[in-house]
Amino acid sequence: MFELAFRSVLQRPGRFVGTLLSAFLGATITMMFNSMHDTAGGSNVDDQSAELLTITGAAVGGYGTLLVFFAVASALTVNVRQRDEEIRLLRCTGATPAQIKRMVVGEAVLVAVVSTLLALVPAMLGGRALLGQFQDNGQVAEAVDYVFGPIAISAGVSITMLASVGAAFLAVRRATKAAAGARAPRHRLRTLGGGLAFLAGVGGVSVTFTMDRTEPALMAAPAYGAILLSVGFATFSPMLLRVLLGWLARPVELLAGAPGYLTVHNLRERATQLAGVLMPLILFIGMATATLYMQDIESNAVKASGVGKTVADKNLESLNFVIVGIIVAFACIMLINSLYAATSYRRREFGGQRLAGATPGQVLGMVGVEGLVLTATGLFFGTLAGVAGILPFNIVRTDTVIPDVGVAMWLGIAAVGAAVTLVTSVGTARRALRTPAVSAVAVAA
Amino acid sequence: MFRRDKGVGTARSPEALRLVDVTKVYGSEENAVRALDGVSLSLPAGTFTAVMGPSGSGKSTLLQCAAGLDRPDHGRIFVDGEEMTGGTEAALTKFRRQRIGFIFQQYNLMPTLSVVQNTTLPLKLAGRRIDHVRAQNILDQVGLGDRLAHRPDTLSGGQRQRVAIARALVTEPSVIFADEPTGALDIRSARDILQLLQEAVRVHGRTVVMVTHDPVAASYADSVLFLADGRLAGHMNAPTVDAVAERLAHLGDTVGGAAAGLGDGMPMGA
Repeated sequence: MFELAFRSVLQRPGRFVGTLLSAFLGATITMMFNSMHDTAGGSNVDDQSAELLTITGAAVGGYGTLLVFFAVASALTVNVRQRDEEIRLLRCTGATPAQIKRMVVGEAVLVAVVSTLLALVPAMLGGRALLGQFQDNGQVAEAVDYVFGPIAISAGVSITMLASVGAAFLAVRRATKAAAGARAPRHRLRTLGGGLAFLAGVGGVSVTFTMDRTEPALMAAPAYGAILLSVGFATFSPMLLRVLLGWLARPVELLAGAPGYLTVHNLRERATQLAGVLMPLILFIGMATATLYMQDIESNAVKASGVGKTVADKNLESLNFVIVGIIVAFACIMLINSLYAATSYRRREFGGQRLAGATPGQVLGMVGVEGLVLTATGLFFGTLAGVAGILPFNIVRTDTVIPDVGVAMWLGIAAVGAAVTLVTSVGTARRALRTPAVSAVAVAA
Repeated sequence: MFRRDKGVGTARSPEALRLVDVTKVYGSEENAVRALDGVSLSLPAGTFTAVMGPSGSGKSTLLQCAAGLDRPDHGRIFVDGEEMTGGTEAALTKFRRQRIGFIFQQYNLMPTLSVVQNTTLPLKLAGRRIDHVRAQNILDQVGLGDRLAHRPDTLSGGQRQRVAIARALVTEPSVIFADEPTGALDIRSARDILQLLQEAVRVHGRTVVMVTHDPVAASYADSVLFLADGRLAGHMNAPTVDAVAERLAHLGDTVGGAAAGLGDGMPMGA
């Protein structure tokens, strides 16, 4: 079966570009930040430099790694779900469920290994550049040598492997069960996982209160909390969305006509599948809101503490924003990736609608309304998760409850989230509409 | 069983479908395959016509071109006296949804919509007022009156195809195109579907064009058009199963020699 896995990757590399890209970017970011640990453990590193490097590795590296894990896992889940037809064919040619599982998981292993290997050089370059920035700012002694060692590599390999193999295994298990005609699975495992993520998120946020305001890694706990809360919300949001759509069905239909009607029905019926798209969206909004605002609050607090704003301080501030920005950009790319995969998979559904008399404009309208509903849901829960991280951080850091920050940054995040969601899904749907309706419906794979 | 709807036939042309010299070529210049080679035909309103031919004879291409799902390279198509001109897909869709109904072998129902929602979807998409009583009546007539809220995945193949028939009838189209409507059904369900199509014509006054390779299905039609290598190869009124099978078996005798080698590699199936 591994041979089959190998062949299916080789024969259709296009289908694996999305997963490969996610795993590659994830491995790069994980290894880049975790190599700070290796560097800190190198010879002739003074204590001060070692501390800063360890904090960077533990704080940004830590929550960055967690984000990578969930982002890669959700991208791969979307990918495996789309292979129903292939799995059905394999069953018909005599593959046992165990063989199918081995094939899909084997592919995931292959993709994880290849993407980690590809990520080695970019991660080294990125880590070296990061160290260089610290040294230019005088945060780390010039004498410190960059080390890319066991911690970076093991973190990169284990996170990529765990995320892709775990996601592939869970998704293929569901797919083979569904193909065998079992009743639709009740997502018990997912509900349990979502509940755990939610609890852990609340825990992470609460831990913030036990920390000292001068603790350098103060930002890590609420950031972890915000990520886990995002994951928890993403798990439960489809159910909430279904209830909400029950109430909103009429207004949406009145406002958006036939496309609105299709949207409401699609979203209600496919609510559970939407978690795959909502996860990266909520993660992006939650992460961006939490980390960017915490960085802002941190900068303000440093300013307020009376330390003169030197050139070095300014540089460090912008460097911090760059580091957080890398994580946020990663979340954004994963969002685009998932939306593209989820939308291009719907070619057949679009074909059916067109044959039932929908104009291409109506199909695009439906995708657009869906995008709006998704954006609104993602914004709501993402902001909730982000604020849940920001508030404790602000309370501990500044002793005030309401942070002294503007709303402009959030508006920017919301605009990026909405633009990415709408442009990606409508753009992908447009491409999908180029296939004639009849062949779109007939295409099996 | 069916009630003839008021208003049907008032503004209708006596000719439901007319094809003039329709040609469709697939493939590149060197290895072009003429799926349709100058086909001309005319079908009066209120008739039930079966289109038959061996695999690769161009019958599906004929149906898709006539229904505006595919564009011919040459020739003109009139539905209900109105010429189907090229233009955007949106324009074609609007043309289709006023005049054409579809029934596919694989049903093509929306999995997320219930039986009644699937039936009224074309009206909804066209922005037309939905007459729920009428939709209910049509579903009663096809025998699904007690399954209005079911989703397609809880229905049998025959029941799904009856939803598709109800969906095709609800817009009162000039022509209903059926592409192997019984291809995925058992004998009993297939007979029910064919009788419903017959009733749609005889009682409802619709025009039905059905592509099939099954002589039994074709025997339910008023007449059969035979297609071979993209050309019309015969015509039979009041077909019987045996006569259709006989003619089909000897289709190759008349055109086979002249067109040898042309039928290979048809990209569209048939």
